[in-house]
Amino acid sequence: MKYLGWDELLPGAILFSFDEEMEKDAAEVLPENRPYAETNSYTAYVGDWRVLKPVYNRDLCIDCQFCWIYCPDVSIISRDKKMIGVDYDHCKGCGICVEVCPTNPKSLLMFEEQVENEKALAQWPEKE
Amino acid sequence: MSEMKKIKNLKEFSTSADRFEGANLLCPGCAHSIIVREILNATNDPLILSASTGCLEVCTAVYPYTSWDASWIHIGFENSSTAIAGAEAMYKTLKRKDRLPESCKGKSPKFVAFGGDGATYDIGFQWISGCFERGHDMMYVCLDNEVYANTGGQRSSATPIGASTTTSPAGRVSYGEKMNKKDMVQIMAAHGSPYVAQVAPNKWKDMIKKIQKGFATEGPVYINAMSACTTEWKFAPDDTIAVSDLAVDSLVFPLYEIENGTKLTITYRPKNKIPVRDYLGAQGRFKHLFKPEYEYLIDEWQKRVDDYWEYLQRREEAGV
Repeated sequence: MKYLGWDELLPGAILFSFDEEMEKDAAEVLPENRPYAETNSYTAYVGDWRVLKPVYNRDLCIDCQFCWIYCPDVSIISRDKKMIGVDYDHCKGCGICVEVCPTNPKSLLMFEEQVENEKALAQWPEKE
Repeated sequence: MSEMKKIKNLKEFSTSADRFEGANLLCPGCAHSIIVREILNATNDPLILSASTGCLEVCTAVYPYTSWDASWIHIGFENSSTAIAGAEAMYKTLKRKDRLPESCKGKSPKFVAFGGDGATYDIGFQWISGCFERGHDMMYVCLDNEVYANTGGQRSSATPIGASTTTSPAGRVSYGEKMNKKDMVQIMAAHGSPYVAQVAPNKWKDMIKKIQKGFATEGPVYINAMSACTTEWKFAPDDTIAVSDLAVDSLVFPLYEIENGTKLTITYRPKNKIPVRDYLGAQGRFKHLFKPEYEYLIDEWQKRVDDYWEYLQRREEAGV
């Protein structure tokens, strides 16, 4: 992206979140349908902050959505009341989702960043 | 006024489309963004927001990025409250003169200012006081992490007694911060504000209820949101919710609301009250209090918390 100088920005140094105006307020448009601008941090990547990553096990999940509400980085993707996965572009690996997960065994667990998700799912612990 | 967003349970709430974006630069495990998400998701109305200088402002607006999908004003340390009050006054005037643009008609925008505890308790205090005196229809949210976390952890007037910070370090001659925490909630209630509340992000239902009540209230609303700071309170990033639970259940952060400056209601009573010792023990900033010479401070703390809880209960009973 080209960085604009102070005198090239719109007066008031306005940054736009979206490229075009939406018919509805963003509160009624899901992220996949939004015309994100380059200047929206949605297009940025902080995945390299992680040391450990959360891996999600659909088979154990009860869709309680605790991970969704307590995720500080909007990285738990929930659609139609169902948890469908982790957004690894924005997840910083804090591990809150794993801590608040109530199932036994947990349906979200932290694994080393380099472990592939399939391998992580294969070594999931048994019920205690 | 538009219809309130219906949030019956967490599953229903999870269908909200966030207006706060990831890839902001807040620390992993920061409670600020949990609070902001809960507040923004509590309504579907258009939002006009501002933030005082602090972690939230600098981390969500790192050039060339913005993390906000709503109108958001980046402003100085002291004046997020007056910036939003100005926007609100302009909106009211344009509405009265029927000069609002077509796209803004028939909507009821919500005006929210965010500030850290430094911006609220110290630097922006007289500005907030002014806004509340003038009675703007706005909400001020204090993200109370009890320290100037953005600049490296200096004490603020929200820092509780005994906490070790970079400007009140604990050591051989000192146990850290010497002053008690300022009771900002009561101060704002004393302004005669129609609605003042203390919230915690880990009690999301209580929080959403209060935020929606605040949005429905006409006039200046003050929300004091406890924001556990993994960096300055010194606990592991994944413990944010656990530490917040300890703070609420030990009654260090009692959850209550005050209507019209007087009517106090306690909104959350812990089933199992936890000793303050457990709350302090979970955080590195209070590590030195467990040395034998400072242990009397923990007992003093427990007594202070008990007394304050007693005071809240009595006020609730008396309805004043």
